[in-house]
Amino acid sequence: MGIKVKVTDLHKAYGDNEVLKGINLEVQENEVVVMIGPSGSGKSTFLRTLNKLENPTTGSIAIDGIDLTAKETNLNKVRENIGMVFQHFNLFPHLTVLENVTLAPVELGKISKEEAKTLGMQLLAQVGLADKADAKPTQLSGGQKQRVAIARALAMKPSIMLFDEPTSALDPEMVGEVLKVMRDLAQEGMTMIVVTHEMGFAKQVADRVVFFADGYIREEGTPEEVFGNPQDPRAKDFLNKVLNV
Amino acid sequence: MDKKAWIKYLMLTLTVVLGIIATNTKFAAASEEPHYVITTDTTYPPFELQDKNGKYVGIDIDILKAIAKREHFTFKLVPMSFNSGAQAVLSGQIDGIMAGMAITPARKLVYDFGTPYYKTGVITAVAKNSSIKSLNDLRGKTVALKTGTGAAAYALTIQKKYGFKVTYFNDSNTMYNDVALGNTVATFEDEPVMKYAIQNGVKLKVLTKPANSGYYGFGVKKGHNQALIEKFNAGFAAIKKDGTYDKIVAKYIGAEESTFAGSAKVNNSIWGLLNQNKSQFLAGIGQTLMLTILGIILATIFGMVIGLLAIVPNKISHGFASTVIYIFRGLPLLVLAFFIYIGIPSLTGHKLSALFSGLLTLTLNEGAYIAAFVAGGLKSVDNGQMEAARSLGLSYWKAMRKVVLPQGVKLMVPSFINQFIITLKDTSILSAIGIIELTQTGTVIISRNSQGFRIWFLVAMMYLIVITLLTFLAKWADKRFGNN
Repeated sequence: MGIKVKVTDLHKAYGDNEVLKGINLEVQENEVVVMIGPSGSGKSTFLRTLNKLENPTTGSIAIDGIDLTAKETNLNKVRENIGMVFQHFNLFPHLTVLENVTLAPVELGKISKEEAKTLGMQLLAQVGLADKADAKPTQLSGGQKQRVAIARALAMKPSIMLFDEPTSALDPEMVGEVLKVMRDLAQEGMTMIVVTHEMGFAKQVADRVVFFADGYIREEGTPEEVFGNPQDPRAKDFLNKVLNV
Repeated sequence: MDKKAWIKYLMLTLTVVLGIIATNTKFAAASEEPHYVITTDTTYPPFELQDKNGKYVGIDIDILKAIAKREHFTFKLVPMSFNSGAQAVLSGQIDGIMAGMAITPARKLVYDFGTPYYKTGVITAVAKNSSIKSLNDLRGKTVALKTGTGAAAYALTIQKKYGFKVTYFNDSNTMYNDVALGNTVATFEDEPVMKYAIQNGVKLKVLTKPANSGYYGFGVKKGHNQALIEKFNAGFAAIKKDGTYDKIVAKYIGAEESTFAGSAKVNNSIWGLLNQNKSQFLAGIGQTLMLTILGIILATIFGMVIGLLAIVPNKISHGFASTVIYIFRGLPLLVLAFFIYIGIPSLTGHKLSALFSGLLTLTLNEGAYIAAFVAGGLKSVDNGQMEAARSLGLSYWKAMRKVVLPQGVKLMVPSFINQFIITLKDTSILSAIGIIELTQTGTVIISRNSQGFRIWFLVAMMYLIVITLLTFLAKWADKRFGNN
């Protein structure tokens, strides 16, 4: 057990518009942290700073003790260790499903083409899509696309996975298949940071729930604490709205 | 396309380009005798014209050949429009000019001339059915002049007196036709040239007696190539003495049209003209295709690099790429071609071959257009693609090459096919710096046989056929290799 992620006093502004106003967060190894909050609260921006898709204005981010904000840090190396899954999947449409999964490990010289193929098929089997290996992304449903995207991220054998609203763009009947894959991952001990509106998933799978509003973390704790007895008025209001529909 | 294929294409292109440049300089090395590059006009019968076999003949050419043989030098003849040729001599691109060039005080300031070899005067000609009776009738009307000629200079000296307006042409035949068709009312031309043209079917008549009599001379840049001038003078004295000169002049002045231009029967049939000028047309198409294909390959490489520089998140490279696109897209192709072929050598003193200059012009101009749509195509690829690739640990360039480029290139295919066609058409502009591609081939054939309608019709058909074939080829290649 150790600290995987340590964020200290993180700020992010676009011009005059400050979207992150001093975030502090630690994530332990094997921990599943779910981030909830209203739209525009800064949770997605925060997630994207964790692999430097967004550059923070000030503050520090350390992943496995490596300072991401330091100039000498090789970001490409750090990113190999951080898988990311996007709301809109962002599969590579010009490649087959299998090629989507094997592109990065082969291009980065991690494994041979043959080994990558074996690994790719394994991962596709793990997300239940071995039969789609030679299909193009356009031939898949949304749920299938997102499962391929998860397999693609896993192919780099990351020790942390970031999920940015992975089910928000899906038809309701496809949400379950994606959440199942994520649940399996969590059970295998993957360190996960998830931005989502799936409160059921948060309750069942999260070790810790973090509530964002207005660029601050307003509340954090176990699912029982946050859902059962929220302290912050904004959190109370938000949960009241999303849980009692 | 994998890395190896790219390198192969690049090497192939470079080899071909170097080959072209090398063969242009080889002539000099091949012979022990001194070798010169001499320009002549493309259309100035009877001084220079292409015979029906596509070979350059005429008083100027035959005199040069006779002198070269006697004085033991070799020369490469580079026909181009008179004005470009005159400038190319001054820029040091070309050693001498033998193009019915009148010796004038102004020209003596910048050229050294050999012994005057032909006496001439300027005459005014009007359309056969023209009502103009004297120069006084020209008041308020427009006359046609040929750029840079002595006849044009003379016309300007009497312009005020007779009150006419002027317009300019780059080759004689277009100018004659303009007058014959009535767009302009008269033209000023050197006497032997005008008489030869009228004798060969140009529908004009002579209005005035020769004025401003003067001489034609062989010119070099002042203070340069003195050995060439000496050889010319020695050789000219010899051929004048032994009668060769008179024979040459007699051969062209008063020659029947069919001697050089082909019979009326051939000239009145499209098939006859096509058949007679087959080898010239094929050579022209070959040159046009070569310029197009090499041009588009080089422009694609240049455009890809600049297009990529335009989108990388770096202010300096972005500014550089935008400036390059702005300049080379903004310059007219013709200005760029003249700047490279005539402007740069004037400054540096190093010759650039017409072909090299032409290819460089196409590369920069078409490349700038390609860069613009490459940048546009890459920008239109969803940003999430780059983010997903980067989040996997791929570097910016690896992500660009493996993820963004393949998708962007697909979007660019229609633009590429379009640019291919535009490049093919743009090669015609390079005729101005003396490259005898398809358009210039048409011009020189017409200067010989005056068959404007039929020859331009044939040239137009040839462009359409070539463009159709190339478009099919491009679409086939897109289907075959574009992994749709």
